[in-house]
Amino acid sequence: MTQPAPRAVYLQASSLLNAAGNSVDALFGPAPTPSPLAFANQITAFHVETPALERRLYDRKIQRSVEDQGLRLLDCVARLAPAVQALPSAPERLALCAALPEVDAPSPCWDAIAALGENPDALLASLFNNTPPLHALTLLNSSVMSYVAEALACHGPMAGYCAQESAAFDALYEAWQLLREDRADSALVISSSPNLTPAVYLREEAQPPLTPLGEGAAALLLSQQPSADAWQISVQHCVRAYCPVGADALAIAQERLTACLSQAHLQLSDLALVVADPSDPLLQALLPGCRLHSSRSHTGDLGASSPLTDIAYACAHPSHTAAQQARYVLLCSHSRQGHLGLLLLHLSPQEAHA
Amino acid sequence: MLAREVHVTGYGLVAPMALNAQALFTRLCEEQSCIRAHPLFVELGFANTAAGYLDSQQWQAIYAALEQPCGGQPRQAALAQYVAEQALQHAQFDRQSLAKPRSGLFIGANKYCASAQELDVVSQYFDAHGRVDLDAYLDHPSSQREPFAWRVDQQTQHLADYLGVGQHIATHADACAAGTMAIGSAYRAIADGHLDIALCGATELMANELPYYMFSSLGALCAKGDWPADTQSRPFMRDRCGFVLSEGAAMLVLESREHAERRQAVSLGRVLGYANLCEAEKMTSSSRDGSKYALCMQAALADAGLTPGEIDQVNLHGTSTAVNDSCEALALEQVFADHLAQLQLTANKSAVGHSLAGSGAIEAVLSLQSIAHGVQLPTLNYHADGAQYPHLNLHAQVQTQTVNTVLSNSFGFGGINSAIVLGRA
Repeated sequence: MTQPAPRAVYLQASSLLNAAGNSVDALFGPAPTPSPLAFANQITAFHVETPALERRLYDRKIQRSVEDQGLRLLDCVARLAPAVQALPSAPERLALCAALPEVDAPSPCWDAIAALGENPDALLASLFNNTPPLHALTLLNSSVMSYVAEALACHGPMAGYCAQESAAFDALYEAWQLLREDRADSALVISSSPNLTPAVYLREEAQPPLTPLGEGAAALLLSQQPSADAWQISVQHCVRAYCPVGADALAIAQERLTACLSQAHLQLSDLALVVADPSDPLLQALLPGCRLHSSRSHTGDLGASSPLTDIAYACAHPSHTAAQQARYVLLCSHSRQGHLGLLLLHLSPQEAHA
Repeated sequence: MLAREVHVTGYGLVAPMALNAQALFTRLCEEQSCIRAHPLFVELGFANTAAGYLDSQQWQAIYAALEQPCGGQPRQAALAQYVAEQALQHAQFDRQSLAKPRSGLFIGANKYCASAQELDVVSQYFDAHGRVDLDAYLDHPSSQREPFAWRVDQQTQHLADYLGVGQHIATHADACAAGTMAIGSAYRAIADGHLDIALCGATELMANELPYYMFSSLGALCAKGDWPADTQSRPFMRDRCGFVLSEGAAMLVLESREHAERRQAVSLGRVLGYANLCEAEKMTSSSRDGSKYALCMQAALADAGLTPGEIDQVNLHGTSTAVNDSCEALALEQVFADHLAQLQLTANKSAVGHSLAGSGAIEAVLSLQSIAHGVQLPTLNYHADGAQYPHLNLHAQVQTQTVNTVLSNSFGFGGINSAIVLGRA
């Protein structure tokens, strides 16, 4: 059977929350200073104050029943509500794709441990018998997704991923495919950074992070319709790959990069901007001669919300300001586990703004 | 409908009291439950001790059978490896078969749940400020502190490295729908030409105390702890009062038709369609009229290019909770209307319990076996005289019927609905 021609996919809007603030412009201003983690002085991190949720959008009970990671995400997503509400499509055509990793294993466990410390004689059963049911559902990532879906009336396809940094690319790829295949008109892609709990320390014991960690969230609204902004931003191609450390990791990455660029008959030298972690050895080798830009100096390593944060950063980069012609931007993400994500964006100035 | 045919060429499974798919299928055909009193729940003095759980004999068999030991990994990873090895062997693949381009791994799972003992270990290491003294804790034997470094994608990462998966790996964390969604994502990736082969399914080990407290506090577990364990899961009965916690894992090998034909693989069935929809209702309840479940089933049928009359059997989500079962029954009426009287229905959780992410994958394997053997599996504890929806074609005894197509439902907390259509090869 012949497949119908894929639909165009555009970036409509983005929303961020990180140590630099909740505006993409803050990523180009003075960088905040990271501070040591309370439980591990040798690891530094960019912290974000736990936000108070928008009461008109979320039930007040959510504020006290969701862990900080979820609250940061819900706060970030709330700022996309006007853009979502302005969409012409029906709720059944609005997809929700989420990247919600949890570093701290069972998050409620750390609460349980703290409670045991305060009252060592208390039975665990008694502790959990008094646990609010909504909090109990933090066992499941889907609880946070359901709050987003309810608040923004997402009734279309949905998917949740939980695989550290690569989860964001999984969610992005799913959204891109849903729109290309016309299974949805628009898609919310949401991501959150994991809570910085002692689990980070335990997990990273053998390989402590070299760069500061960060807390935050990021969300994108993709649509089959272009935005009315000065730049029309379309997703040209999206590639996922798994290339764990090894002799052929670079070869796999190069093959995927070539496949990605060939979609627009491009070479590396044709790109106006490359956004990638400049400290990643594989990305350095993959992108020779390219100046690598990143928002990490302002946010730290945001884990699962890094890719979406960098996409917003790439689209708002000051280098576009003076440009008069359409240009291509490449985003490369590479996790320490070996996941590779490539996103090729096409930016073209809209006539009304020219 | 997508462009390429997707065939199932192998599967593996571990469920309570069953170390492989054939053992579980036989057990269900013999109308035997997998649910019994969990020794841990008895020891902890829980009001309800019923669960589907993997016992020590099963764990010994799992660890003994692994082609390579997986030291340092959590039990989830060992279970995943065991089931993956079964599935690959069933598909006549070796361990290196996924170590090539255009292969993928899609695993559903929910959070790792530490036990009370594991929490107790950490609580012994508080400093003067009431915080965990991590340096002191790190002096503890690593095997006892590992649970707090484990992630929900631990087993996916382990399998990816063990099998050398070539192109793509993903962990789906969509609550009770995660297993079906992992299979659905793999199906889409092959059907649209991005992959040729995928291993997909789910692992879940939730039959322990933390999930018990969590789901008990929600009122989701069977409230009748004094009933015999094997009678507590009673989907679609008037006296149903909650689900029974369970655990297990299942994985399927999916291949494009071209890939399967090239290596002359035996097709065990096809994935014909899939849908996943977001309900956007309250977190733990569905639209009471069943309309959201109906939309999901209809979307899966549309994706498969089938009409309701072309479905022979529905493998129900059928958790035995009051709301889920009534919503699903109403949805069936909306989707199948006049065809409902002829439609075979089965609710496997009546015998296996609810293994959350694992359930969708386990039920997919049971559906494929039902197609192969021409069987409508029994819904244990179902009696027409006590049924809330007596017009539904459910039976407590196994029925022999021709089955060409099965629609398998999975509806998760958070309003994550998914349905998959399986068919004869």
